[in-house]
Amino acid sequence: MPEKISIRIDGEYVAAQEGQTILEVARASGKYIPTLCWLESITPVGACRLCIVEVSGVNRLLPACTTPVQDGMSVTTHSEKLAAYRRIALEFLFTERNHQCAVCVSNNHCELQAMAQRLGVNSVRYAYTFPKLPVDVSHERFVLDHNRCILCTRCVRVCAEVEGAHVWDLSSRGIRSMVICDMSKPWGESRNCTNCGKCVQVCPTGALAEKGFAVEEMVKRDAKVTRLASRRGGHQ
Amino acid sequence: MKKTRLATVWLDGCAGCHMSILDIDEAILNVAARADVVYGPLVDAQEFPKAVDVTIIEGAISSQEDLEKVHAIRKRSKLIVSLGDCAVTANVPGMRNNIPPRKLLERIYIEGAQENKVIPSEGVPALLRQAVPVHQVVKVDLHVPGCPPPASAIAFVLGELLEGRVPNLTAKVKFG
Amino acid sequence: MIRIQDFSTFNAVREAGLAKLVPSRPRVGVGMGTCGAGNGAEGVYHAFAEAINRGGRDMKLASVGCFGFCAQEPLVNVRLPGKPLVILRRVEVSDVPRILDDMAVGEVPGDLALCKVESWDHLTAHVQYGEGFPRIPLWQEVPFFKPQKKIVLRNCGLISPDDIEEYIAIGGYQSLYKVLIDANPDLVIEQIKASKLRGRGGAGFLTGLKWSFLRAAVSDQKYIVCNADEGDPGAYMNRNEIESDPHSLLEGMIAGAYVMGASEGIIYVRAEYPLAVHRLNRAIDQARQSGILGDNILGRGFKFDIRLVEGAGAFVCGEETALIASLEGYSGRPRPRPPFPAQKGLYGKPTVINNVETWYNIAPIIAKGPAWFTETGSTKSAGTKVFSLVGKVSNTGLVEMPLGTPLKTFIYDVGEGGTNGKHVKAVQTGGPSGGCIPLEMFDTPVDYETLAQLGSIMGSGGMVVMDDDNCMVDVARYFIEFTHSESCGKCIPCRVGLDKSLRILNAFTRGEAKESDLDRLDEMGRMIRETSLCGLGQSAPNPLLTTMRHFRHEFEDHIRANRCRAGVCEDLALTPCENSCPLHMNIPRFLQLYKEGRLEEAFEAVVLDNPLPASTGRVCQHPCEDRCRRRMVDEPLNMREVHRFIADSIYASDRFDALAERIVNRKLPSTDRKVAVVGAGPTGLTAAFYLALLGHAVTVYESNPEPGGMLRYALPDYRLPKDVVRREVELIRRLGVEFLCGVAVGSDITLNDLDSQYNAVFMAIGTWKESWVYLPGTELQNVYPALLFLEAVAKREPVHPGKRVVVIGGGNAAIDSARTSLRMGAEVTVIYRRERKDMPAIREETDAAEAEGAKYAFLATPHRIVGDENGKVKAIEVVKTRLGEFDATGRRRPVPTNEIRRYECDAVILAVGEAVDMDFVRASGLRIKENGTLEVDRFSLETSRSKFYAGGDLISGASNVSNAMGFGKKAARNIDRRLMGPKRWDLIASAFEYDNSPPEQPVPGRRHATEELPPQERVETFAEAVTGFAAEEALEEACRCLRCDVKEHH
Repeated sequence: MPEKISIRIDGEYVAAQEGQTILEVARASGKYIPTLCWLESITPVGACRLCIVEVSGVNRLLPACTTPVQDGMSVTTHSEKLAAYRRIALEFLFTERNHQCAVCVSNNHCELQAMAQRLGVNSVRYAYTFPKLPVDVSHERFVLDHNRCILCTRCVRVCAEVEGAHVWDLSSRGIRSMVICDMSKPWGESRNCTNCGKCVQVCPTGALAEKGFAVEEMVKRDAKVTRLASRRGGHQ
Repeated sequence: MKKTRLATVWLDGCAGCHMSILDIDEAILNVAARADVVYGPLVDAQEFPKAVDVTIIEGAISSQEDLEKVHAIRKRSKLIVSLGDCAVTANVPGMRNNIPPRKLLERIYIEGAQENKVIPSEGVPALLRQAVPVHQVVKVDLHVPGCPPPASAIAFVLGELLEGRVPNLTAKVKFG
Repeated sequence: MIRIQDFSTFNAVREAGLAKLVPSRPRVGVGMGTCGAGNGAEGVYHAFAEAINRGGRDMKLASVGCFGFCAQEPLVNVRLPGKPLVILRRVEVSDVPRILDDMAVGEVPGDLALCKVESWDHLTAHVQYGEGFPRIPLWQEVPFFKPQKKIVLRNCGLISPDDIEEYIAIGGYQSLYKVLIDANPDLVIEQIKASKLRGRGGAGFLTGLKWSFLRAAVSDQKYIVCNADEGDPGAYMNRNEIESDPHSLLEGMIAGAYVMGASEGIIYVRAEYPLAVHRLNRAIDQARQSGILGDNILGRGFKFDIRLVEGAGAFVCGEETALIASLEGYSGRPRPRPPFPAQKGLYGKPTVINNVETWYNIAPIIAKGPAWFTETGSTKSAGTKVFSLVGKVSNTGLVEMPLGTPLKTFIYDVGEGGTNGKHVKAVQTGGPSGGCIPLEMFDTPVDYETLAQLGSIMGSGGMVVMDDDNCMVDVARYFIEFTHSESCGKCIPCRVGLDKSLRILNAFTRGEAKESDLDRLDEMGRMIRETSLCGLGQSAPNPLLTTMRHFRHEFEDHIRANRCRAGVCEDLALTPCENSCPLHMNIPRFLQLYKEGRLEEAFEAVVLDNPLPASTGRVCQHPCEDRCRRRMVDEPLNMREVHRFIADSIYASDRFDALAERIVNRKLPSTDRKVAVVGAGPTGLTAAFYLALLGHAVTVYESNPEPGGMLRYALPDYRLPKDVVRREVELIRRLGVEFLCGVAVGSDITLNDLDSQYNAVFMAIGTWKESWVYLPGTELQNVYPALLFLEAVAKREPVHPGKRVVVIGGGNAAIDSARTSLRMGAEVTVIYRRERKDMPAIREETDAAEAEGAKYAFLATPHRIVGDENGKVKAIEVVKTRLGEFDATGRRRPVPTNEIRRYECDAVILAVGEAVDMDFVRASGLRIKENGTLEVDRFSLETSRSKFYAGGDLISGASNVSNAMGFGKKAARNIDRRLMGPKRWDLIASAFEYDNSPPEQPVPGRRHATEELPPQERVETFAEAVTGFAAEEALEEACRCLRCDVKEHH
């Protein structure tokens, strides 16, 4: 049995188990910490940095999704600084690629859009990049629109960890990073893809979608995938 | 009480935001009672007037004309509101931004035309290299995203502004 | 090769090695690191080999590593039996025969000798070379080596990296042997802990502590890794260490493996280091064959092996979790920690990763003990660190310095200051993830904590020196561009934040940035630093944040003035000369016009840029020449003399009236605005000229009887004849400028009066008040402040300094006073408290004064002036000074000694600085800064009182003519903008059509110097000492212009 410990989140004492992450404990006790790349029962990667929290005695900000709790830890999940940094992270995502929410299949069902609303991001202070990016429509049933991708790698992890196909990965680096299929093939030509659609269901934006949907029509069902993942014992 | 001098401006957008202004139902009576609409698509004024209290801008900055207009507007307005995604993010007008304007015009007026294959040059302002949000050109005091923003949000914003308050829009509006 | 199984075999190898290292015949060792090879060492090596073969000489030839003095490569060390090892520098193939010939007769070529080594402490052993060659300095006496302490580099450049026997000869593998025999791993770890050794990769984690984690970890398999993925631009210490001494690395790793219980070691080395890879492979082979790696190491039953993995070429792979991912075959992207590698590392097994240099410290610590190690360095940062000292510094190279050494020791002692005597302004430490530290902070001790406090890092030890030619915005942009292209892209802050930062910085270098961009950059920098996943992102903003903190004015210049002072950002400058000119003269334009035979248009172009072209042509400090690119071909252009010639030609001709008319015709229509200019010196005249041209009614108030200011009343006739000034003032007068001379603002008319009568007021009063000095005897007769002395002479007032004159000071006023006194028949001694190279006066002037017979006494400061019974000067006593610490200006501070010297003299002229008489200014409610200058907005030149502008000495302190005029021009532009709105300035700039084809390939030649009268002749008279160009000289000089203004059109 993992040892039971106690930590404080925003001043409130909560019970936790050794080995849990700050995020898991916070969620279990109904505390909200914003996340985008995190997905229940899938290996956390700490990429989006929205879940950064302050831990007293630590002079760095820590990602809640990958930081294990320690007995007596005191965590602050909301502060002026955290709000400012989370805002910048979201602004970065909106400027990095082309997110025209109004004409997106995932409009009103998008986690990025909802997060901006929740965190009060009404405008973006940084210049938009407006990159030219491809849309892969080669798959029979699905579409990959790089314009909407936020590189959270949920698709990569779900495909590798739950479906076991490892179709997706990242190519290149830095600002040129791209999600690729197999060894950079059109999706329709992938020999590993099982057409299961899990990647589509967990994609937080309209980057991965089913064909045949118009604006606002693509509703994702990631709960089915995470339930499956947790039954397989999650990432442990 | 002196009436607020209110202007609305339609730049590169679809007029949907202006329609939504009209969509605020009975709240429009309150606006009419407390503000003079001194400029806008439905007002006869040819030139943007001086000493405007609040200017609401719909649409992105897409052309040379938009650019000059918005600089003049900034000088003559106390407060500028970007209304709708086009003004706030460049939205749909910005979807052309990774295509050079010349190529874009050729595609539409020459390759895409059945007859009279010529790029119009007279009487139309030159396109900017990119369509950009208003606040990338001049200072904007309030952003109201949405495509269009819901009428309730517009009514709230106008109500607050006419009361002399800056509305807090957190969680009331969204992109798209 | 002998397999070592016990002491006797070990000693046998050692003896064999010693016979090679210190043979009983002559030995030549050629430094064959990548750096040496890049400078031609391979050719030198082959030349030696061939010459030795051909001559049948009995000599040992070896290739060794690098001794660290990169600026002097190729380095060759030679040794004759019984004699010291002599390091030769910059050896070329053609030197080889004479080196061998000299050696044959027991000598070495003295001109090539850098230094000698009589004995060397390898820490693990001592090597005695011998004594002799008294004229060659010991290596410790060479400034570059003097402050260094070689622990990591203990063997580099002395032994052959390809020969394990030579390594064993200098005590190599003894520490390992000791560790294996003692068989007490905990003790070794305690020793490493006690030594306070910290990871040399940059983060500075305590090595002993890290090792204890791995030792404590329970696993069937543990790994140790050497991180040799050195990717910082400008850093090459790891490469050099491996290339010069690979076995020290292996020894550290094998010892570490034993105490931590690791069974496999991996060296992750940059694939871009082929020579290092080659030498390491050979070293590993030799170690295996000698029984130092493998199943039964040194016969002690320990099993361990090392393999080499070539890196994937990504900077981020230097981050330990990314390095592990790369080793496992994944792309190099960092993973979140915890879990830390010591718990779960390579293939999920406990792993310790240390930097190359960390491993190099292990053997010496074991050999000499932790107490010895902590003797060096500071309290928290023990030992030494190897730095690559590069950039704008005279001596570049790899230097190993005790931690805690102040930065100024690096720059001024080891590096011997800026290149070509230029002014060093900052040092970037820690590579692309480090920060810039400004000159004012060169007292900073270089250790982990202090650098971190300043927003920088130790990093891998890169140290890039920057001078005034470096634009700090461009520096920030360069480093952000690097980390931007090396970001792995996993986390948002680093991936997108660096991209956004780079885009904004690019806008800065094009002059397209906005005020708000400064805030964006600052807030993004902090966000990236605090929220990024790994060390790359967390440290990437350092160069940006530190340059914004310490050099914010440079960022502001790029936005508000559209200027890049260093002239690096090409979009912001026409040419380097134009950028450096305070008046921003379009120099190539008038040169080209003159070259095309269009003298009159050239004159117009010159005057429109610079209303006093003949005066400045004679006395300007000519910053343009320092930047002239022609220097790279032969010598810089003599630009000021060309515009002097152009102006003189017109002034002396009957075309003056016609051309003055042409300039007057360029006047804009009257604006009905009235502007007052206070002071008719160069600043005021310049402002008046442009304001009149812009259509304003200008009145100039001047307290002296004639306009000209310092040009008229301080500069002696032999430098600037009065007629020249009168001619130039005449042109300004014809533009309609009204001069009210003999009117003192403050007493005759108040600033409030001006306020009520004019739409704007420009104040441009010069520094006529001598700074107060505390010196006994200043009340004596014949003690003169320099400017009053010069003014009196200029006004033909009776002054008689006497036979012997002493001038105190080193600026232009001091030299002018000296040369004036010489012309009055005196013997002159100039006393200056610093060295000659520190004198602020124009170099041509100090040389000319000397030629005319002035004597200099440097490093002396006045003590007291001695008077005779009549109250007249009799002598002056000075205190000799010596050079002390470096001060905030980068010069050594003169420190008084006990030595007093006396100079008998009849007069003393004090030229120790001037100040503006501020009394009336203060009375008018204008704010004055602590340093005594007037407070103005840096960009608009407006004072604290609305519509009052100020420029020149009043705001900058005593300066020079062109700087003063620059202020006048800038003020005119800003006053006009205030009165009339923007964009009018361009209306008075006129276009000239001329040939804009790029010049042909320049043929190296010489610049034209102006003719000086012979010293003995010119010292007799106040006639102009330097005659200008003849027409053909001016033409030839104009033809030398490389036309940097002609840019390729895309």
